[in-house]
Formats: sequence, C-alpha cells, structure tokens
Amino acid sequence: MKASKSLLSISLIVILVMSFTAMALAQDLDIIPIKVRCRAKPPMENWRGLNFLVAEKDLNADLEAMGDPRRVKVEVIQDNLDWGEYITEFVLGYGAGESPDIWLTGHEYIGTQAEAGRIIALDGIIKEFPIYNLVFDTLWDCTKYKGETWGVPQDAEARPLYWNKTLLKKLGWSDGEIAALSGKIEKGEFTLYDMLETAKQAVDKGVVEPGNGFWTRPKNGPDFTPFYYAFGGETIDSATGKLVFDKTAGLKYYKFFYDAAQKYGSMGCLGLDWSSAWHPGVTSKVLFWVGGTWQWAEWAEKFLKDLGGEAYMWENFGFGLIPAAEKGGKPNSLTHPLAYLVSSQCKYPDLAVALIAKVTNYGPNTRHAIASTHLGILKGQTEYKFYKESRLLSEALYMLDYTTFLPNNPYWGTYSTVTYEALAACVGGDFTPEKAVDFVVEGLNRELGDKVIIK
Amino acid sequence: MSNNFQLERERSSLSSFPDSKSLFSKLKSGLLPYAFLTPTLIVVTLFFFIPLVMVFILSFTNLDMTNFGILKWWQPANWTLDNYVKIFTNRFFPRILNNTLMYVSMTLIFFNVGMALVIALITTNINRRVGFTFRLIWLMCRLTPVVVYIMMWKALAGPAPMGVINKHILGPLGIGTGEYLLNTNPWLFIILVNGFIGASFGMIIFSSAIEAIPKDYMIASKVDGASTWQTIRYITIPMIKWPLLFVTTYQTLSLLTSFEQILLLTNGGPGLYETEVWSLTAYHRAFSSYFGNTQWGYGSAWAVILVIIGIIMAIIYLRVFKFNELIQEPKIDQL
Repeated sequence: MKASKSLLSISLIVILVMSFTAMALAQDLDIIPIKVRCRAKPPMENWRGLNFLVAEKDLNADLEAMGDPRRVKVEVIQDNLDWGEYITEFVLGYGAGESPDIWLTGHEYIGTQAEAGRIIALDGIIKEFPIYNLVFDTLWDCTKYKGETWGVPQDAEARPLYWNKTLLKKLGWSDGEIAALSGKIEKGEFTLYDMLETAKQAVDKGVVEPGNGFWTRPKNGPDFTPFYYAFGGETIDSATGKLVFDKTAGLKYYKFFYDAAQKYGSMGCLGLDWSSAWHPGVTSKVLFWVGGTWQWAEWAEKFLKDLGGEAYMWENFGFGLIPAAEKGGKPNSLTHPLAYLVSSQCKYPDLAVALIAKVTNYGPNTRHAIASTHLGILKGQTEYKFYKESRLLSEALYMLDYTTFLPNNPYWGTYSTVTYEALAACVGGDFTPEKAVDFVVEGLNRELGDKVIIK
Repeated sequence: MSNNFQLERERSSLSSFPDSKSLFSKLKSGLLPYAFLTPTLIVVTLFFFIPLVMVFILSFTNLDMTNFGILKWWQPANWTLDNYVKIFTNRFFPRILNNTLMYVSMTLIFFNVGMALVIALITTNINRRVGFTFRLIWLMCRLTPVVVYIMMWKALAGPAPMGVINKHILGPLGIGTGEYLLNTNPWLFIILVNGFIGASFGMIIFSSAIEAIPKDYMIASKVDGASTWQTIRYITIPMIKWPLLFVTTYQTLSLLTSFEQILLLTNGGPGLYETEVWSLTAYHRAFSSYFGNTQWGYGSAWAVILVIIGIIMAIIYLRVFKFNELIQEPKIDQL
C-alpha cells in the first residue's frame, strides 16, 4: 500500500515536471503566421498554394534543427478571382494593413506594386538560398524592376497557336501536311496571313462557320501582345523604362485583326463567355486559335473528359508557335510567368522567402507543372523523371526559345486597355486600322502623357 | 366642498412649477421625434452622405491603383477637372450614353411600367385566386438570387446543342445556325432579363391600386354601357395616376443605376461597349480591369455624372406629372 502511494507520488511529480518543461519549451517557441494568397483554377492549379502546406513542415524541421525558436504556421487563401479584382483586393488589403505575406501574381504587376512600396526587393535575401540559382535567368529578368528583383518566378507557359486536325483534314490537308505544320511555322514558312488564308478556305468550303476560322481569347489579356511583337512592335524602352507604342507596327497589327474579321471569316470570339462559349467553341468548331499550355489541362479535365480527355486531344489537336508576320520571319510565343512577391507588411520576410525556396524545387514545381500543364522554371527540370513523363510539357518546351514577355511597367494596364479597345473596334468594324492607330495615340497621350513614347 | 378643495390644490400645485413643467414637456415633445430619427440619420450619414461627398471629391483626383496610399486625395491641391474632360472627350461617350438611354427607356416602357400595368389589369379582372397565383409565379424571378437567375438565362441562350432555346425552339423550326444568342441579340436578352424582374414591382403596386378603386365606379360604368377599354381608359388609369408616377420615377432611377444583370450577362459586350451602360462604365473604371488598372478617381467622375442625370430626371418627372397636385389632400376630406 505504502509502495503504491510512493509510486503514485513519483509518477505525479514526473508528469508535473514534464508538463512544466513542455510548457516552458512551448513558451519559447514563437509561432509565426504566414499568409499565402494565390490565384488558382481548381483543380488543375491547386498546387500553387497547397505546396506551401507541404513546405511548412519542412521549414519548421529546418528551424528546429538550427535551434531557431520560430515556427511558421501557413495559411493559404486560394481562389479563382478575375485578375483585376485579385489585384484590387491586395491593394485595398494593404491599405487596411492586412495584406498577405506572400502574394502570387503576374510579373507585369511588379512595377505598380514596387512603385507604391507594397512589396519588397528580394535581392539580399534570395542570395542565402542557392536553390534559386536553378531558376532560368530569363524568368528572373521578368521579376526585375529598376535593377532589383521583386519576386520569385512560380511558373511559365507558352501560348501556342492550336489547330483542329479533323477540320484541316476536312479541308483536304493530308496527315503529313498537318504533322509538318508546326515545323513550317518554326521555320517561318507558314505566316500569319497563310493562317488567315487557310481559315478563309475553311469558311468558304463550309468546314467552319463564318467567324470561326481563327480565334483569340475573348477579352483583353496578354495573348494579343505577341501578334504586335510579330509585326515588329515594342512595348518598352530599355533606356528609360517607359512604355512604347510603335505606329508602323501598330498599323500592321490592327490591319491583321481588321482583315481577319472583315475579310477572312475569323475573330468571331470577342466578348464570348469563357465557360459557356469560348472553351466549347475552340474544342469543337474553330480551325485555329491562340491559347495557353495551361488550357490543355483545362480542356482535358473539364471540356473533353467525356470524349477521352488528353488522348482525344492528341488525336484531334495540334499546336505550334505563333507564326511570323512575313516569310522567313521569326515566329514567337509569350510567357507570362507568375511570381511570388513578399509584402512590405510581412514581419518576417526571411521566413517568407525560405518558404518560397521550399516550393521552388523540382518536386513541388513539377507537381504543379504536370497538374496544370505549365512549363517548368528550373534548369534541368526536363531531365527530372516525373516531368519527363508529361508529353505536352516535353513537346512544348522548345517554345521558350522563341518566347517574349509583357513589360514590367506600372502603366501597362492602362496601355493594354487602350490598345485592346482599338483592336476590338477593328474586329467589330467600327475602326479602320488607321483610325485604330489614331485612337491609340490619342488615348495613350490623354491617359499617360509623357509616361509613354509614341514612335 | 370637497371638489372645490381639490381644484384649489391642483391650481396651487400647477402654479408652484409652472415654467419648469411646460419647458420639460416642450423639450420632450420637441426632441422626441429627433430621437426616433437619430438611428436613421446616423446610418444615412455614415453610409450615404459621407461616401457621396468622398466620391464627389475623388472624382476630381487621379486616385488609382498606382498611387493608392500615396496620393493625398483630400487635399485641394490634387483636385483637377481632368476626369470630366476625359469623359466628355472619350470616343465611346456617345455610345455609352445612347446605350443607357435605350436600356432605360425600352425596359421601362415595355416591362417595368408597360408589362406591369398589363399584368395588373389582367390579374385584377379575372378570378381573384387565379390572378393572385399568377402574380406569385411572376415574382419568382425577383425572388431568385441574381447569379442563379442569370445562369438560367445563359443556359437558355447558350449555343447549340447546349442552349435550351436553340435546341428546343429555334433548331426544330430551322431558325438560325445555333449561335450563342447573347452574342447575336444581346440587347433583347438584357431587356428581357431586367424586364421580367422589373415588371414585378409595378405589378404589385398597380394591382393594389386597382383593387383599391371603389367598385361603385366600375359598376356605374358598366350600367352606363362602357366597354372594358373605356373603363380602363377613363376610370382605372386616371385613378392610379399617383402609383404610375411613383413606379415610373422610381424605376427610371433604379434602371439608371442598375448594372448587375448586364455585368453578369454580357459584361458590356459582346462587341466593344455594345451593351455598356453608364453605371457599368463607372464600375468597370473604378473596380474592374484585366490588368488591375482600376481608376477610382475616374470611375467616381462617371458616377457623379450619373447622380446628376438622376436628379435632373427626377425633377423632370415631378414637373411633368405635377407631383404637388397629386399629393394634395382629397377635397372630400377638406369639407
């Protein structure tokens, strides 16, 4: 009886001591909440945010090993807001002192946010994480503004010209001709106007309905800029960092879209709703269209799953670069890398950058790349076992050699709105190409003044 | 004796505190109404007048995404008329104005007042229970959440083979080629979508007003041999003049500022500014753009002009319908 009492007392003492020790240790630990805000189309792009939840344990293990009393607690907020609303949310959230610590966004927003002081330059911190040396240099260039690095690239993509093989066959193309098309585009033998001619033939022969020869995205966005580049246009002056509008290239660019809509039975796409009209359209009744590599996964997962998903797409769709404007010219594509930015309201930027380093690695990035059909961002990623298994990623990778980018400038949004309005007016038949150029010059001068150079 | 004594006591008690009691009761009766109004005044001041003044001030600034938190918009040094100049020199200004006038007038004439009146007249002249049931069914579109309601319309207007109208009506009749009807006839759908909701408001007001007309008038007109149209023309319409004015004015102002259905249905498209109305432009400029270049100052200027247009329209209505005469006390009560 006496022995059991002493045993009980000892046990209680041990429990008490252990509890106090645990409490003392717990009090020493500093839990740092890190809020991560991502835009992602579910389910394809979920890894953009979910990778951080995996990285949390990994980073906490590192912190524990080095005796750092801090521990991160990641909170991921992820949805599929429109870009405009997504940006507004960040700006207003910042104004209220409640911005996320890590914010994923398109690289072209860096200029605006850096100028306003809402994000921090990362040059000093990223040096301490050698994993960042694996990221392609061209992608780092996208996150630079005024000589400093403001973000870490998250993914990349190509924006190919897609075509419907079945409709080309109906038009009389042989399998060999269809298979050779991407090569002809790469060599500059098949131009933008060759594409429109083919589209017109398809309309004339009743293979596609008028308007369905060639489509772009249905509203303003980055996909139009590579066409402007194809006609020799430039968007930014490297010496001054100011935006540029080239009237000669602009005239050719607007003429192309005017001709496409008014003469070549194309561009019946502007204003369409994405889900109910655009995606069903391009996946069934349009001959040529411009899209992103990420849409490959979207079509397979959402729009063509019943027909066989990706297998059906390989059977029926082909893709290549955006053709050159003239014979022998250089085709192109556009990459619009997203990047993780760190808010200037983040109290522990070193931990935020450490977390980003954890997701900037072969495993996590490849998970996202495969699920969302985005291109990899790391050197040697094409040799990574799991990356290699994605056929689309492997076959589209060469497009990065021809890629172009949007400029990092705070006023790109305004520039893009004015130039797109002129394009939509050309497509609608409201403007001639000449009138469109006048409209852009007048609009840019009125809205941006000396912030833009008109050449 | 005892009565006289009591009266004396009351007189003496009244004379001892004559001023303080009357002052208190005066204060009480004077302040009480204001006390009841205070919560409303606070809410209206906080959520209407202050934002209105802020929007008015913002309309003179270039506050946007690039300078938010940096620009001191409240300082007069940062105020200019640039936004208003930009609006009136905008090449699409006439199209947006024209769209707005068309949208408001068509929806108002054919649905919010026209259809509402027709439904009210029909449903008050048939079996009461059937009329009530019909009105209840018509209210369903107002009771349905806007997003769900618009999704239903999108499903109706969708391209063949998914679109209900294309698949089950136009297709079998051999009309059209199965295009997305929101692209081919955007205005028709915008007016229908808004009209079905808008008509329900007038329908309720007009039905109540018609049912409140004394039956004697109707019976007398029938005894005199008036046709149904004559009864409507010479008895019903004149007797619901005030509800007609109210619904017309209220719905005009409501349509001028409403944009949510258009935003969800066409978002101003399909062509460039094809279905863009004034309030939608204010929203687009201030809150929405693909690359996030939201211009709060510029959007505010569009909104301020809309407020001015609304005030002018309201004044015109009040003059045309002689509102002052309509709200005079009925002469029978003055006898």
